[in-house]
Amino acid sequence: MSFDPQDMPVFLSIFYWMVVVGCLSFIVMTVSLLSLLVSHRSAGPRIFAAEIIGSLTDLFSLSIRRIWALSKLTFIEAYRRKALAVFVVFALLFMFAGWFMGGDSKEMSSDQVKVYISFVLRTIGWLTLPLMLVLSSFGIPEDIRIRSLHTVVTKPARRLEIVLGRVFGFSLIGSLVLLVMSGVGYIWIVRQIPASAKDMLVCRVPVYGKLQFLDREGKAAEKGVNVGDLWEFRSYIEGATKARAIWEFRGISERALDSGGNLHLENQFLAFRSYKGNLKQSLLYDYQFRNPDTGLTHTTEARPINENRGVTDVISRKLVSRSDGKTYDLIKDFVSKDGTLRIEVSCIDREQYLGMARPDLFIRMPDVSFGFGYFKAVAGIEIMMILVVLLAVTGSTFLKGPIATVLTFVLLILGGEDAHKFMDQLMIGRSDKGGFQGGGFFESIYRIITHMNPTTELPENMGFTAMTGVDGVLTGFLWLCKQVIPRLQYFNMSEYVSNGFDVPLGSSLLPCFLILVGYFLPCVMLGYFALRIRELESK
Amino acid sequence: MNGLTSQQRKLAYLIGILLLLIPIIKLGLPSDGTKAATGGTLSQMRTEFELGESDLGDVDPSSAAMNLVLLGMRGVAVNLLYSEFDKQKDMKRWAEMEATTDSIVRLQPHFEKVWEMNGWNLAYNTSAEWDAVPDRYFYVKKGGKFLMRGVRQNRKSTHLQYHVANVYQKKIGIADEAKFYREYFLHDPDPKFKGGVDPDFNPDELDNYLVAKREFEKATSIEDQYHRPQHILDKTLFRSMPARCQFDYANSLQKDGKFGEITREAWQDALSDWTRKFGQEVFSIPIGPLGTDVKFDIRLEMSAEDIRKEIASPDDAVRVAKMVESYRKMVNYYYWRTRGNCEAESKTAEAHRNLYEASQFYKKQELEKARDAAFAGIKGFDEILKTPEFTDLQSEESLVEECLLGMMVWEDIHRVSGEKVPADYPLKWLATQHQGNQGMHANVQRSFKRLFLD
Repeated sequence: MSFDPQDMPVFLSIFYWMVVVGCLSFIVMTVSLLSLLVSHRSAGPRIFAAEIIGSLTDLFSLSIRRIWALSKLTFIEAYRRKALAVFVVFALLFMFAGWFMGGDSKEMSSDQVKVYISFVLRTIGWLTLPLMLVLSSFGIPEDIRIRSLHTVVTKPARRLEIVLGRVFGFSLIGSLVLLVMSGVGYIWIVRQIPASAKDMLVCRVPVYGKLQFLDREGKAAEKGVNVGDLWEFRSYIEGATKARAIWEFRGISERALDSGGNLHLENQFLAFRSYKGNLKQSLLYDYQFRNPDTGLTHTTEARPINENRGVTDVISRKLVSRSDGKTYDLIKDFVSKDGTLRIEVSCIDREQYLGMARPDLFIRMPDVSFGFGYFKAVAGIEIMMILVVLLAVTGSTFLKGPIATVLTFVLLILGGEDAHKFMDQLMIGRSDKGGFQGGGFFESIYRIITHMNPTTELPENMGFTAMTGVDGVLTGFLWLCKQVIPRLQYFNMSEYVSNGFDVPLGSSLLPCFLILVGYFLPCVMLGYFALRIRELESK
Repeated sequence: MNGLTSQQRKLAYLIGILLLLIPIIKLGLPSDGTKAATGGTLSQMRTEFELGESDLGDVDPSSAAMNLVLLGMRGVAVNLLYSEFDKQKDMKRWAEMEATTDSIVRLQPHFEKVWEMNGWNLAYNTSAEWDAVPDRYFYVKKGGKFLMRGVRQNRKSTHLQYHVANVYQKKIGIADEAKFYREYFLHDPDPKFKGGVDPDFNPDELDNYLVAKREFEKATSIEDQYHRPQHILDKTLFRSMPARCQFDYANSLQKDGKFGEITREAWQDALSDWTRKFGQEVFSIPIGPLGTDVKFDIRLEMSAEDIRKEIASPDDAVRVAKMVESYRKMVNYYYWRTRGNCEAESKTAEAHRNLYEASQFYKKQELEKARDAAFAGIKGFDEILKTPEFTDLQSEESLVEECLLGMMVWEDIHRVSGEKVPADYPLKWLATQHQGNQGMHANVQRSFKRLFLD
C-alpha cells in the first residue's frame, strides 16, 4: 500500500483547537475594545458591552423554524440559479469516460478497477465542490446587492439565523446533488466492472501495527536500508542476516481470528535484488511470532512474496513447532498479557532485500461490502462540501462574491498536505530538523542582502539576538495562522476505496467530522459578527 | 465623444467585423474533402505539407475532442499531468502512471518524443521494477504495444518504428531475462492466452528476431517512402539492422540447441541479406571539396575494380575506395560476411552442435559423453578457425567464448576424473591468444557456473 493511515490524536487536537480559538477570540475582543475606545472614547466599553449582550441575546433566541425557512429559501434560490445544471456536465463525463479509460472489457486487472473507482469519486468531488464554492460565495453578497436581505433583516429573523440558514440551505442542495451523483457513480462502477472482476470490488478491513527495524547486526534501528528509491516510504531489510522488520499489533484477541480459527495476515512487500540470482523464484520471507512476555518464538515456513499485488497468509491458530513438534496456540501462547502480538519478518535470500513500510503488513478482518466503503468515501466528500459552504458563507458576510470565492479557494489550496508540509518546514526553521535553511523572516532577508551562506552561523550580538527573537514571534504568528487553515489531508477517502480498503473511522471519518465541528462555531460567529457590523446599504 | 451616434457606431463595428472576416475566411476555409489543394490558405498548406490528422496517422476522436475542449490550455494540462506522472512513478503507482501516460499521449498524439519516452519508460524502467519475470515481460509488452500505437498515429515516423523494432530485438533478445522473454514471446505466461502468443504483440507467431527484422524493414521503407531520415544511427548502421536481426536469429537458434537445416538456412538467409540486400544498398557520399555538393553512389559490396570503372579520376577513385572501406569497418562488414560464410558450412554447424551437446551432457553429469562431444567441438573449431578465409573469426568474442567454454568443460572433466590435461590439444593456441582478456574470461566463468544453475 502506498499510503499510511494515521489516527488523529483526538484529545491533543481538541486542546489545540481550544488554544487557537481562545487566542483568536482574545485578539478579536481586545482589538474591538481598543478600536471602540479610540473611536468612542469613554462610551467605547458601554458599546462593547451592549454588542456582547446583543450577541448573547441573538444566540439564545435562535428559532429552528426561522432557520429552516431561510434554508428553504436558500435551496430554492440555488435551484433557480441553475445549480442542478451540473448534472449535464456529470452526465457528459460519464457517457464518454469509457473512451478515455480504455482497459480490457473482459479481463480487468485490480489496477484498472482502481482507476475506475478513483475516477468516479474524483469526478464527484471536482464537480460538487467548485459548484458549492461559487454558489455559497455569491449568496449573501447578491442578496445585499439586490437588497433582498433588507426584507429579511427587517423581519424578526436574526443575523445569526441568516448565516445558519445559508449554510444549511446550501449544504442541503449540495447533498442532493451529491446523493444523485454518488448513486449514479456507484451503478456506473458496478456496471463497468465485468463479472470476472467483481470480486475485486471489496473493502478490506485492516488492523495496523507499529513497525520497528533491526539492522543486519540485530541492533534496533530507526529504519531499514535505503536501496535508492526516491520515495523513502519503504525501507529494506537484508536477507540471511539478523535484519528484521518487527510489527506489534495491540488489542489482539480471539476476535482477530476468522470463524475457522485462522489469522489472516496480508502483506505487500517489495523486492530489491543486488544480483539477479534465480529469476524463476520470487524472494522469500518468513514470519516469526514472539511472545514479548515469555520470549517463546515460532517461525513459519518460507513464503514467496507477491510484489505489488500482495498476498494474504492464512495462519492457523494451532502452530506446530518444527523443532520439537509441540503444538502452540497463537492467541494463548504468543499474545502478551496486554494484548500485543509481535511478528518479526525476515528475508531469506542472501544479499537480497525486502522493502516494507508500516501499512505493508496488517491483520485482515472480515471484508465489508464495496458499497459500504464507497458511501463512506462519499460521506467524506459531503463533509468537505459542508466545510466549503461554511467557509464560503463566512467569507461572503464581509467580502464581495468574487473575493469570497478566491479566499475560500486559497484556503482549500493551503489546506492541502503539501502546503501544510511547507508551512511546517517554515516553522521548524532549522535545516538539521527537517526545516528550511536560512532562518526566519528577518534573518533570511539579512542573509540575502549580505550574501551570507545559509549554513554560516549568525554573529553573536544583541542585534542578531533581537532579530531572531522577532523572527520567533513572527513564526508563532504563522503557527497561529496555520492552525486556522483546515487540514484537508484526511478528506481524501477515495484512496482507501480505490485500493480496496474500508474507510477507517479513526484516521479518516472522525478527523473530518471533528474538523467540520471545529470550524462550525468560529465560522458562524465570525459570519454573524461580520453581518452584524456590516453596512448593508453599501453594495 | 467622437461625434458618432449609437447606430453609426454599431454600423462601424459591423463593417469592421465584416472586414476582419475576409482574411479569416481566406485563411481558414475548409477543403472540399478531395486530395487536391482546395479551401483556404491553411487548408492548402495542410494538404501540401501533409499535416492533416488523417495524413499523420490514425485519427483518435477522443484525443481530438480532449484537445478541443482544453481551448489551447493543452500545454498547461500536459505539464500538470507530467508532474503527476513523476510522482506516481516515484511512488510505484503503476496503474495510475499508465493512466496518466495515456492522457498525455491523447493530448500530444503527434509528439514523437512523448511516445518514445513513455514507451521506453514502460518497457525498460517499469518492467525492471518488478521482481517476477512474467510481470517484467508484461511491462515489456506494454511498452512495445504503446510504441506500436504511436506508430499507428504517426505512420511517417521512422524513429518510432525503429524503437518498436528495438523492443523486439534488444529488450526481448538481449536483456538478462532474454531466455525467458524469448520463450514467453511464443508462449505467453498470461493465462488468458492459454500458452499461446499474445496476438497483439506477436500476431504471426514468429521468433522475436524475425519480428524485429520485419519491423526494421518497415522503418527503412518509411525512411524511403516519406523521406523522413532518422537521426539515431548512421545511415549505414541503420540500414544494416534487418540483416543483423537475421544473424541474431540464426545465432539464437544455435544457442537454443537447434542445429538442423533450419539453422543452416537461417545463416544462409543472413549471409544473403548481408551481401545481396544490405551490401547492394546505395549510399550517397560526398566526394567533392568542402562546400560543394558532388556526391557519389557507393555500395558496400563494391570492389576496387567497380569503383575504378565508375570514376575517371584515379585520385577520386582512391578516395572513394577509402571511404567505402571506412563504412565497411563501421558496420563490421567483413566480419559478418565471414561469419555468414563460415556458419553456412555444415562442419561449423557440427562443431557448434558438439559444443552444445558437451554442455548438456556435462549438466547431466554424463562425463564421458561430455568429454567426447567437447573434444569433437574444439577439434572442429580448431580446423575451421585455421582455415585462411575464416581467420578473422579468431577475434570474434562470442565465438571464442563458446570455444573457451567447451575447453573449460573438457579440462574440468579431466580434473574430475583425476586425469592430467594433455600438454597440447586443439584450440590451446586460441586460449593463449586471449589469455589477457579478463572480461572474456569472466564471461566464460559465469557461463560455466550457470551450467550448474540452469
